[in-house]
Amino acid sequence: MSTTAVRTAPGRRAPDAPAGEPGAGTGARAARGRRTGRVGPWLYLTPMLASLVVWVYGPLVFTGVLSFLDWDLTSDRRPFVGLDNYERLFGEPEFPQAIQRTLLYVVLMVPFATFVPLGLAIMLWKRPGRGSEIYRALLFLPVVLAPVATAVSWQFVLNPLQGVANATLGGLGLGSDRNWLGDPDTALPVVVAVTAAKIVALNMLLFGAALAGIDRRGIEAARVEGATEWEITRFVVWPQLRRTTVLLGFVCVVLAGQWVFTNVAVLTQGGPDGSTDNVYHRLYTYGFTFFDIGAASAAAVVIVLALTALFALRVLAARVTRRFARARPR
Amino acid sequence: MPAHADPPTPAPRTLHRRAAGYPRAPRVGRVLRAGARHAVLLAVAGAMLFPVLWALITSFKPANDIYGTDPVPWPASLEHYRSALDDFPIVRLLVNTFVMAAGVTLAQLTVGVLAGYALVRFHVPLRGWMMGALAVALVVPTQSLIVPHFLMLAELGWRDSYPGLVLPQLSGCALAVLLLHEHVKAIPAGLLGAAALEGATPWETLRFVVLPLLRPALGAVAVLVFISTWNEYLWPLLAAPSREHTTIQVGLQLFQNQEGPNPGPLLAAAMLATLPVVAVYLFASRRVADAFLHSGLR
Repeated sequence: MSTTAVRTAPGRRAPDAPAGEPGAGTGARAARGRRTGRVGPWLYLTPMLASLVVWVYGPLVFTGVLSFLDWDLTSDRRPFVGLDNYERLFGEPEFPQAIQRTLLYVVLMVPFATFVPLGLAIMLWKRPGRGSEIYRALLFLPVVLAPVATAVSWQFVLNPLQGVANATLGGLGLGSDRNWLGDPDTALPVVVAVTAAKIVALNMLLFGAALAGIDRRGIEAARVEGATEWEITRFVVWPQLRRTTVLLGFVCVVLAGQWVFTNVAVLTQGGPDGSTDNVYHRLYTYGFTFFDIGAASAAAVVIVLALTALFALRVLAARVTRRFARARPR
Repeated sequence: MPAHADPPTPAPRTLHRRAAGYPRAPRVGRVLRAGARHAVLLAVAGAMLFPVLWALITSFKPANDIYGTDPVPWPASLEHYRSALDDFPIVRLLVNTFVMAAGVTLAQLTVGVLAGYALVRFHVPLRGWMMGALAVALVVPTQSLIVPHFLMLAELGWRDSYPGLVLPQLSGCALAVLLLHEHVKAIPAGLLGAAALEGATPWETLRFVVLPLLRPALGAVAVLVFISTWNEYLWPLLAAPSREHTTIQVGLQLFQNQEGPNPGPLLAAAMLATLPVVAVYLFASRRVADAFLHSGLR
């Protein structure tokens, strides 16, 4: 989902198909126009439809089929095993644990997608000027930094023997022997922190845009009435940002698992003891470490079904709220 | 959102109490508050950027002081950069990454412009279904497609090749299509109608009316797709696993395995891997930020 909803277009909108059949008059030109009118759309739409069929929906069907087979990628035999792969997936402890960890990632990540960037964006918005511009540019940097380079940097800083993190903590007398990525208690928070930097940076920008579109008269009126800065933020600004916050929170719920993937793969490979594993990394492990194509495909099917259900729920919820809002007397 | 939306302007100064003519808070409180604000912002910036900054500093330190806590790498040494470039085909990997990112960008933009235009310009049968298919394609995570993509690639014999790196990433074209569709929709209908009245064919309308108006939007989507493809890790890892043919992100991982416990050259390589995109950002930070702003989440 795009964030187009964060800033909606001003009330200028083209009808769906301007002028219908162009040049619908007389002569050769009109005839050509009518003909391309019929064939034309498909010429333009074919690349998109082909991409979707060949690279999205075809593979999805393919995955669905593979999830019923027992196949190790190399052998010629790939017997049909029915729901065996699914039973195995949920019968063994790894996948359920990965689901539980995925949910934990989501819970830990949502504040970094909503309130943290919201607070920062408001801080910058309240004091416009050169200083804020510099902060803004600096705080956006994590979005463009290459994730693998970032992960490698964190790994170096958190090196358990000689890293600067432990050296600093040791200097402060807080113990210098923490094995950040090797300890199940700290590995997951580290992965969350590394990923959170990027989400905070991106969502701060989006909140900044939402703030720029806020109704200023309300703020002025509140100020004339003698409201404090905090009251203005709480009762005038926040209500106008609630929708953006909910939207970005939802996007985070859907995408958090994908966002952490690179960091999990580079920093911990799901370990120690599967404590940082999530369903995406599990799928990757099944498919390309164990070459268990059936299990990997079953995991993919479960993931896609869950996300589609979530998406449908969200669309449904939006529809219900809209109807409710319309029915409510003003 | 319109193709030519103004960049988000900073809030006007009248929002600020003082500029609006309100009495100033007592001096001590003001200083304290400003101090607290800078402290919070600096702490956040530090937490987010410190590791990369530290890696940058360290990459200039001599090997015997690589774990030193001195924040100034003086006298600076380029030995890690030299050994990284000697031990590993970094330039080659950077070129590969550039070709992949440029290829994906070009492909997605082409698909996006054609489809986005057609969905506005023509009466398309099953239009609603297509929009639905695009929306669902946005939700399908790329990770769930890697197994079939990998098998298709193996079947085609495209491993370690540019087409193999680029084409499967067309699975992400839905975002480009939907964004460009929004931008085409924002072009006043009268312009397209006038072009039709003048006898322009749909193709001429696209070429001479729509494309020029779409240029800022195309730039924004291009920046977005390019950066996220440059930073892509999973697909190159599967599609081009060999040292010469992979991208810089995967190369870093291979390099790490090769170098073992020697972090200096690895950090230098990591800095080289992120440098091109950061350089673009530093020279055009406003435009890059706008691209992400108008193009949603990646």
